[in-house]
Amino acid sequence: MARRKKSDKKKRPIAVSVIALAIVFLFLIRLYQVYEPLIRNNVFRQGITGSLISGWKLTTLGGAMLSSATYLVLSLTGIVVLVGFLRLRRWSWVLLMAWTGVSLTISLVDYFYSQANFAVMASNVIIAFALNIAEVQRIYGIRREDGSSL
Amino acid sequence: MVPASDRPTTPASSSDLELLRSFEPVVCYTKGERFYPTDVEGYIKESSLWEHHPDGRDEILVRQGQLTPEKLVEPRPAEFGAVRYIRFVEALSLAESARVLADQLILRRKTGETFHAGIGRLARGGILPRLLDGLFSLSFLLRGKVSAASAAAAELDYHESFSQDRKYPYYGRVVRQNGWIMLQYWFFFYFNNWRSGFHGVNDHESDWEMVTIYLYEQEGQLVPEWAAFASHDFKGDDLRRRWDDDDELKKQAQSHPVIFAGAGSHASYFRRGEYQAEVDPTLPGWMSGLINTWNKLWTGTLGQSAINTFHIPFVDFARGDGLRIGHGEHQTWSPVLIDETTPWVSQYRGLWGLFARDPISGENAPAGPMYNRDGSPRGSWYDPLGFAGLDKVAPPPQLGQMLADNCERITRQQEELGNSIPRKAAELQEKGARLKGMEGNPHLAKQYLALEKEINTLAAEVRAHRRQLQENTALLEGLTRQLERTRAGEKDDPRAHIRNLAVPDDPSQVLRFDRAAETWAAVSLSLLLFAVAALIFFAPGYTWAGLGVILLLFVVAESFLRGAFVQTVGRITLLLAMISSLILFFHFWKWIIVFTLLAMGVSLMVNRLRELTG
Repeated sequence: MARRKKSDKKKRPIAVSVIALAIVFLFLIRLYQVYEPLIRNNVFRQGITGSLISGWKLTTLGGAMLSSATYLVLSLTGIVVLVGFLRLRRWSWVLLMAWTGVSLTISLVDYFYSQANFAVMASNVIIAFALNIAEVQRIYGIRREDGSSL
Repeated sequence: MVPASDRPTTPASSSDLELLRSFEPVVCYTKGERFYPTDVEGYIKESSLWEHHPDGRDEILVRQGQLTPEKLVEPRPAEFGAVRYIRFVEALSLAESARVLADQLILRRKTGETFHAGIGRLARGGILPRLLDGLFSLSFLLRGKVSAASAAAAELDYHESFSQDRKYPYYGRVVRQNGWIMLQYWFFFYFNNWRSGFHGVNDHESDWEMVTIYLYEQEGQLVPEWAAFASHDFKGDDLRRRWDDDDELKKQAQSHPVIFAGAGSHASYFRRGEYQAEVDPTLPGWMSGLINTWNKLWTGTLGQSAINTFHIPFVDFARGDGLRIGHGEHQTWSPVLIDETTPWVSQYRGLWGLFARDPISGENAPAGPMYNRDGSPRGSWYDPLGFAGLDKVAPPPQLGQMLADNCERITRQQEELGNSIPRKAAELQEKGARLKGMEGNPHLAKQYLALEKEINTLAAEVRAHRRQLQENTALLEGLTRQLERTRAGEKDDPRAHIRNLAVPDDPSQVLRFDRAAETWAAVSLSLLLFAVAALIFFAPGYTWAGLGVILLLFVVAESFLRGAFVQTVGRITLLLAMISSLILFFHFWKWIIVFTLLAMGVSLMVNRLRELTG
């Protein structure tokens, strides 16, 4: 009878795949947020035609460029986190949790003061709860086998 | 019973005073302590006697300089709700307060011994406890409190009085109950300056502290078995340590337990160190209920470790690096015997210092050894055994006999059960057979029902006896094992009875706090307030959101310094996720319910179809 060799690799629970999907989803949203202000300001068609700063304040174009650049950094960070996360690295769990916290704070401030992005909020909620699952925390070395925090 | 040869003994025929002297403790105070045990008579003579009436009036009964122990106990009728109290420091004017505070500084410079807190208590707690600590300090604006000038005046008076009569008395009492001989040592202090002198919880005029040594008699000798130190944070079994528990109960010359007294609080500790005494603010019932529900969700459902956010940390410094009093030391005790016939012990039920009108009593002076603040009898006086959880514990020489008696009684009971169970079981079967014979005879319906009831009762009885037989077997095994161990002189774990062990702060943990953490602890609360003020001034439209964000940033910065970044970030994100979930549910509850129902339906269908197709 053929024996199946046990893999030495840590088994990846479903929650990890769910989180990875949520990161990809957020990455796509962020990517849209990178392009949207640039398209709105015709940057792709005309290039950067006006000045970005007027006095101490950003112009509309400057604001759009800053917003786009910020989302670009966030998108790229998302990719780095995703790679680390799929490779079951501890730092990626910490970075993702911290990032989710920041993202949720921004979503909540947006919700109370302007227009909330519910899709981003929901994705972050899913990620936060999934990262809190004991099994996930054990795999990433955040929690010990006996359940206590490291 | 093998005699405890490692224990010091004293003849059972010794007088009470000899007994007290044989085991009197050695008390180690912290450098910078200002008040040491003193005699009550000198204190009474320096004080006045007052009565606080329910209508808010304070009436002087005996003036300062006229009060004597005899006058203190003179019968004086009082209305319900009145509080009688001694006042050691009279009310001071502004000029007098300034003068005593200046004199205190001069005295401290002259005596030289100063206290250094080291790693401050604030650095040992998080930012939220510090915020609560700030509120606790502010609460003194509403609560009654003893002024810093009173503490200074008491310090000056004590110093002067001590210079005239240099002695350290304790008030000793010997009690005999249920085979135990108990030696109680009561220590009286002019003042408790824990808050004003050592950043603690409270200050109050006068202070009483007590320790008890529990002895048993064996072959004409008295042998020490337990020592219990009174404490505010612990009670019952947690108060006592066994004599052979050398790590917990230090001894000088084998006979004298060593006590480490808290600076200013004078609380007694078994081990040298700095103790975090936590004060739980009294919360309304509905708030406690909410917190309990939240804790269940947080720890049970979300699997997070519990957070004691509402605990305000205070450090009790029991370093033992100051004056030492007792056997083998430069300073020794002057014992005074007391009992129920001592008038100031039994006939004065009032407070031994200022009634500060503090509703939570922290700043009100304590009552004497025999009474509580409300005049009711003090448990440690009338029930010293129950006070330390020893009322259920037999003295070692009697334990073996008690175990043997128990074994004998249970063995007898087992024999009786062994005889009665087969008899009753046979009777049950016989009745069962009779019941069977009645079946199919409608004219016997009444008798059938009666017999059925009888059978049920008998069956329950047989079942109960069989269960008892089983339980007794296990109990007998345990008792026999214990009896054998006791006869062989084997002792069980000396700390088996302790549920909450008082443990001083771990020095290595304390050392982790570097200068940055300490500085942060000192300035963070002020920085937080500045940030909030700036927010209100510069961005009034974003006050609440800004406040939340600032608080989060402070908590994260704090966690980074305390080495708890990962845990804190996880907790904060989880909290934010819960708030966001509520918002999402509020806006999309229809969709969420529809989606959940669909998911459940699909899952159910898949399961059923799988069952159908095998």
